[in-house]
Amino acid sequence: MWVIFLYCILSLLTEVFYFLLKAQSVYSGFTIIEFTLFSFFFYSSLYEKKFKYIPLIGAVVFYAVAIGSFTNKRFDSLPTSVEAILIISYCILLLYEQINDPSIIFVYNTKKFWVIIAFFLYFSATLFLFIYTSALSEKERSNYWPINNFSEMLKNILFCVSFIMRRNPKRPYAVDSYDS
Amino acid sequence: MILLEVTSPGNVSLVLFFGTIGMLALTIGLIVFIIFHQRKVIRYQLKLQRMEQDQQKLLLNASIRLQEEERQRIAADLHDDAGPLLATARLYLNENLVNLDKTTQLQSIYNAKQIIDDTIQLIRNISHSLMPPTLKNFGLESAVNDLFQKISGSGSMNASSRFHDYRERLQAETELIIFRVIQELVNNILKHSNASFIHLTQNTSGDKFFIRLHHDGRGITQNDFNKLNKSNVGLGLKNIQSRLKVLHGKIFFEKDMSQTYYKVTIELVKEEEDKLQEQD
Repeated sequence: MWVIFLYCILSLLTEVFYFLLKAQSVYSGFTIIEFTLFSFFFYSSLYEKKFKYIPLIGAVVFYAVAIGSFTNKRFDSLPTSVEAILIISYCILLLYEQINDPSIIFVYNTKKFWVIIAFFLYFSATLFLFIYTSALSEKERSNYWPINNFSEMLKNILFCVSFIMRRNPKRPYAVDSYDS
Repeated sequence: MILLEVTSPGNVSLVLFFGTIGMLALTIGLIVFIIFHQRKVIRYQLKLQRMEQDQQKLLLNASIRLQEEERQRIAADLHDDAGPLLATARLYLNENLVNLDKTTQLQSIYNAKQIIDDTIQLIRNISHSLMPPTLKNFGLESAVNDLFQKISGSGSMNASSRFHDYRERLQAETELIIFRVIQELVNNILKHSNASFIHLTQNTSGDKFFIRLHHDGRGITQNDFNKLNKSNVGLGLKNIQSRLKVLHGKIFFEKDMSQTYYKVTIELVKEEEDKLQEQD
């Protein structure tokens, strides 16, 4: 979970730096750091060895795309889109692993579940926005950008849920409600 | 970026809007599906658990009832047979004995001795029914042979047994459980099947230990056994099941290929037996 906490801190710092420097490269650089942190989270969360290779292969693909299209002038549509697609794929993979894990009785009682949901919703909502941002005019972009802001808020709320969740809840699952 | 090339500038807003809505709908749908699927799986697992608990409860009740019946039988044997015998012996040895003539005294003492001998024999029989001495001293093979000889000796049925691979004795506890299961099965055959013969064979295959019983009477199949196990009748069968559960053994009831004989197979894993030994 410290990876997610670190991501939140860096995200805040990026906004501050962008406000001060007004350079697009701040966002482009942050995209790479963001993907690295997310990949590390997924790599450490996946427990099946054959699945652990996927974030590594994904990272190679992403770094190639991100370094190849690193720019200071416009929004980095291609790396963010690739990042969104990769993270959505990892989310599905990790959810699949979680529901197949017999030690997890209720998947939504785990911290990881809420982090995955946060990623999943954020990148699903912003995937098309990231793909088309470079093709939009400034006015159109400002019209559509609330999608990103709203998704960010939702993501942060879900992160908060995972942070404040008890590691070992007193009543981890309410079996009684399933007896009917 | 291929998406950008195929989308005309006018349609960008539309694709962006519907694309985002579509992706969100898909994501939320997937999350809801996962949560509901998991709840369904948990409900199913709980149902299975409850069924298993019910089955265990039935087996436990059966074994408690059987234990109570056995206690009642022993109590009845002691009360109805040993009690009157000892009371009669006491009558022969009453205080008035000293006032009687020598011949009557000797006759009374002799009668009392006879009655006490009978009582000793009776108690020995009760004790043997609780733990057959042949089983304790000579093992399962001898105890089963002894049992089958007694059945054959009665003349009502031809009973035979053959142990093919029983060089090393099993643990005493295991032998007793297997013997009780065989006793129960033979008892059922005698009571319900109208069979003219019973044949028991023992052999091993790898780490498995098999005992097979054949008879030519009316028997039951695995389906009947399962049904009886789930119902409130068939106390003996439930007891067999609970005894075998202790040894992690299995029992199969089937009709022979020729449809003439019924076959009961008891299967045990020798490793389980070793584990029991280690636990002791």
